[in-house]
Amino acid sequence: MDKFLTVDADKCTGCRLCEQVCSVMHEGVSNPAKSRIQVIKWEQEGIYIPVICKQCEDAPCMNVCPVRAISRDPEFGFVKVDHEVCIGCRSCVGICPFGAMGYNGDTHQVFKCDLCGGDPQCVRFCEVNALEYVSANRVTSQKKRKGAARQSAAERQAVALG
Amino acid sequence: MALDRKIAYINLTTGDVEIKPIPLEMRKKFIGGRGMDAYLLYNHAPEGCDPLGPENPLIVSGGLLTATCASATARTHVMAKSPLTGLLGSCNMGGFFAPEMAWAGFHHLVITGRADKPVYLWIHNGEIEIRDAGRLWGKNSTDTQWAIRDELDDEEVKSMVIGQAGENLVTYACVMTGIKNAGGRTGLGCVMGAKNLKAVAVRGTMDIKIAHPVDALEHNKKFIDQITGAKVNQIQGALGTPFIWGATNCWGGVRTRNFQYNQMEYADEIEPEAIDDYAAETMGPHHMTGCFGCQVHCRAQYKIQSGLYKGKYDEGPEYTSLGAFGAEPDCKSIETVLTGNHLVNQYGVDNLEIGSMIAWAMELYELGILTSKETEGLDLRFGNDEALLQMVHNICTRTGWLGNVLADGGIPAAEKIGKNAFDYLIQVKGMNNLHSDERATPGLALNIATASRGSDHLRSRPAIDLYHLPEPVLRKIYSSPVPYEGPLSSEHTEYIGKPWQVFWQENVYMAVDCLGICKYHTVFLGATLPNFEDWPEVIYYNTGLEFTPKEIWDAAERCNNLERLFNLREGLTRNDPKKGDTLNHRYFDEPCRRGAPDVIGKRIDRDKFNVMIDEFYEHHGWDQDGVPTTETLKRLGLEKEPTRLL
Amino acid sequence: MADKERVSSSESLRSTRTFGKVRCHNPSCMGRITPPPGSKQITCPTCGMTYRLFWVTPELPRIRGPVWDVNRKLAQETLAKKLETPDSDSK
Ligand code: SF4
Ligand code: SF4
Ligand code: SF4
Ligand SMILES: [Zn+2]
Repeated sequence: MDKFLTVDADKCTGCRLCEQVCSVMHEGVSNPAKSRIQVIKWEQEGIYIPVICKQCEDAPCMNVCPVRAISRDPEFGFVKVDHEVCIGCRSCVGICPFGAMGYNGDTHQVFKCDLCGGDPQCVRFCEVNALEYVSANRVTSQKKRKGAARQSAAERQAVALG
Repeated sequence: MALDRKIAYINLTTGDVEIKPIPLEMRKKFIGGRGMDAYLLYNHAPEGCDPLGPENPLIVSGGLLTATCASATARTHVMAKSPLTGLLGSCNMGGFFAPEMAWAGFHHLVITGRADKPVYLWIHNGEIEIRDAGRLWGKNSTDTQWAIRDELDDEEVKSMVIGQAGENLVTYACVMTGIKNAGGRTGLGCVMGAKNLKAVAVRGTMDIKIAHPVDALEHNKKFIDQITGAKVNQIQGALGTPFIWGATNCWGGVRTRNFQYNQMEYADEIEPEAIDDYAAETMGPHHMTGCFGCQVHCRAQYKIQSGLYKGKYDEGPEYTSLGAFGAEPDCKSIETVLTGNHLVNQYGVDNLEIGSMIAWAMELYELGILTSKETEGLDLRFGNDEALLQMVHNICTRTGWLGNVLADGGIPAAEKIGKNAFDYLIQVKGMNNLHSDERATPGLALNIATASRGSDHLRSRPAIDLYHLPEPVLRKIYSSPVPYEGPLSSEHTEYIGKPWQVFWQENVYMAVDCLGICKYHTVFLGATLPNFEDWPEVIYYNTGLEFTPKEIWDAAERCNNLERLFNLREGLTRNDPKKGDTLNHRYFDEPCRRGAPDVIGKRIDRDKFNVMIDEFYEHHGWDQDGVPTTETLKRLGLEKEPTRLL
Repeated sequence: MADKERVSSSESLRSTRTFGKVRCHNPSCMGRITPPPGSKQITCPTCGMTYRLFWVTPELPRIRGPVWDVNRKLAQETLAKKLETPDSDSK
């Protein structure tokens, strides 16, 4: 995995086009509730933060899954759900520290970002570049993985304590 | 599917709610959004009804493409009989309301009756509930929205609300959503206030199935590239609509000091770039925001840096706030413009109308038609920033004799003030003109004189006329989907061919409003932006409905004629200075005194103006009184209206 | 349905977009002026109106506003002339 989907919330205009195209791409419907990316807003202050799966190295969702339905895609490195194996227990939805694992009440399946199989639509449509799909060299790549791991480890601890 | 969104009839007196599907043949005839609203208004408003009475229907809608995979389908449209003009009431706002309403299952609401105490509507995934709004009454427009979210315990709820201006029945109160998105014109916030309806809150998670998702996605990308590639939208995305004000002021097309001048000189402190710097200082380099699904992002974010409202966050200002708190009252302070903009957003009042009303009062004060007796000591001269902001408070809260009188709207106020106050009121059909000056641009003058909701620039303005496009380019644009072989002129100071351009634009803007998309995504300010020929694909990929460009044109013309029929029924006659297709006498009598050399001395020629109106009617198939002929009604399938099919 | 290769008139007009230029704001002039990249001010060679510039992007200049002293003088001279022959413009 040499590419990351990065978020620069400062640049986000809050338009939610990313939510729209993500749900159209994956479900053939326009419905932000089924988008893998969600823009959280503090409208009172004009702050918009796109929230998306971090494809964590030490992924809590993967760890918590009792039937090992969650694995890492060997080609693009994203964390993916095998719906054949998934039993719909929603443990992953509960444990994801970022709220990036969604649950589709119509299909009774969990869903998450799959980087659109390597051509992220949200990135393609976000003209202000709040979202970018960037190559990282090994160093930053490792840094990012470590950062993500730290974050999820801390999160795990917090969950254990709380 | 967009096509399975429903229409709901809500009676606030009885509490009855009825939900119906929207038949496909109605879509073909009226498309959706504003066009369908026009049908509903013509059919549901009893002739001559009291705009503030229970029988006046308040119609709220999204367009056919709302929340589909098309570009910038953010717009909400609202209609009712206007308490300001007594004619068509119609307004349109951006933001995120209409898409949420579509996800909640609805495209149209027809709200009638009157609640006996303040209420709001709660619309959630196909369900509609009337709830108590006692605790919301008295709150400003943003506090109302946050309080509703608290009460419903859902941060994603979007609401269309009124502020105090609507509660106080100011006849030009807005409906508002978000921080500053306003359905500003014609006073429909006042209609909500009269119904005791504080808000409509919506939240939805229902799929809108896209007919051909892969094509829709690809096509949308292409569309967006065409839209964001236009220079005008790149400037818009950097500076917002103030850029139009700045450019217009540069050559002398900005109404100044009511109508005394056509340019505000030395306005550097409030020019677009200065506002942009201010926004950047307070919100950082990325301070532009936008509406749902839009990549133009034309709206600035800012925080007020000093004064009474120091630290307050707001969005804008738009062109109209520069007019209302800049050129019209002749105030040059950026702090005043941004504070004024904040006040109108909070009170929920039309910035355009209130700015014009105050500038008019200022001219009357300087002429001695109003004295310090009526102003109760307020020194209401031009350039007095404090008096200006004080009047905003007074009008929105109906404080003092003058505040109360001005809150009734221009024509009733002119009657109460007496003398020749009316002569100075720069209005058409009872609604004040945009803060622009059309004396050098006959095409634009024709547009405001004939716009269906009273003086207005978003109904038929051939704004690209200002670009001096070569005649072949003009012809290419204006000869499709209906051939036009008559004259066209690149000269925007000319009268030649303008009636056709205005007619054509009238149909474009109606179509845009039916589809529910934003006007910056069509041929409004940029000649290379989409129009009739570009829409059939978007509609097809998203909804599966097949339209030809000509069918879209026909539907638009049909809906425009319905608006005309409504206005005629409610008393429009061609030459009535208060309800007609006319202009204030100053357009004809007073020449421009400022601006570019070729603008100076310009005024509208009465005879040529009348010929333009004749031609304009002819293009429509209207008679010399502006009434659609029987053949025209037949051609458009309107001869049996009202048919009450919805 | 739709023919994906078809080019609509608005799309075909895209090629007419010209970057790097501004147009003089004087109605009968409207001359295209190409300001040197990054310049702050420009005078129309045809009518003498003078403008301050803003660069939206390095390729996209915009007229920020008039140089008031220059354009105001032009305006006042024209006004004086037109007041001598008051009806020249309404015909
Ligand atoms: S598309 Fe980009 S700008 Fe728009 S909401 Fe998503 S991240 Fe923000
Ligand atoms: S990369 Fe694809 S799946 Fe992931 S959020 Fe963006 S659009 Fe959705
Ligand atoms: S162009 Fe502006 S008003 Fe239109 S949808 Fe985009 S942000 Fe909203
Ligand atoms: Zn020039």
